[in-house]
Amino acid sequence: MARWSAGRRWWLVIGSLLLLVIATTVAIYVGLYNIAADVPHTQPVYWLLETLRGRSVATRSREIVVPNDLNDPNRISKGAGEYAEMCSGCHLAPGMERTEISRGLYPRAPELRRKTDLTPAEQFWIVKHGVKMTGMPAWGVTHNDELLWDVVAFVRKLPELTPEQYESLVKNAPKHEELMKEMETGDHRQDGDHQRQ
Amino acid sequence: MRNLRFRKTPLRLVLLASFAGLPLTLAVGHEGHHVECNETAINALKADIQAMGNGEARTTASKEVEAAQQMMAKNDIGGCKSHIHSAMEATEK
Repeated sequence: MARWSAGRRWWLVIGSLLLLVIATTVAIYVGLYNIAADVPHTQPVYWLLETLRGRSVATRSREIVVPNDLNDPNRISKGAGEYAEMCSGCHLAPGMERTEISRGLYPRAPELRRKTDLTPAEQFWIVKHGVKMTGMPAWGVTHNDELLWDVVAFVRKLPELTPEQYESLVKNAPKHEELMKEMETGDHRQDGDHQRQ
Repeated sequence: MRNLRFRKTPLRLVLLASFAGLPLTLAVGHEGHHVECNETAINALKADIQAMGNGEARTTASKEVEAAQQMMAKNDIGGCKSHIHSAMEATEK
């Protein structure tokens, strides 16, 4: 009798799991979940995706070797120009009003003038590889590692900057087109393979 | 002289039309800062709050959005707008 009960309990578990799989499949196929960017995820779904993203980035950036010259003013200056060109539209900057794209993106692009818990390695990984379903592109497709570390160096500095300092840094930064040209011709320094792929 | 006045008329019409349309253009330009009480505005604020770190500002913003929703349910649009405005301020801290 006891053995029969245990068997029934197993069938109940298997049956429930099967029902869950079928219900999930049906929910997906009938389009039950609203994927619109103007309706936020429920808190459990948001937590799940946030945790998934955080853990994935942490695991994949573990092996990255951070260059020891992230405080180099030359690097920060180059990064300022790249940031203004590639990032500020979504991630904003000191003294900048929210843009139309930053208001409509979901999940919201983090405002990088605020301090972050991310390590330089994690920031580099995100900039290089992008993040699925967030609007964050993989800049590593078009930029070499050195240029991306310049951006990380600047982003680390960003929370300390006043709007005036930001403006001045961007104004005096090398132009994006020049840096891209340097990269294509191989003139941009490639002084270290900072990361194991 | 008469001919010259006639020639200038289209220019005058263009200028008049431009100035007549100015208040409308300014109104559209200002729309980005306008506080609305509707589902879209509340959802946008909820998305902003999700992206905020834990802290006093987040708690305040969440409470204000909740209050705005309650006001909207009661059809108190003025109260709803006021809470939405407070929530927006909290998200910008």
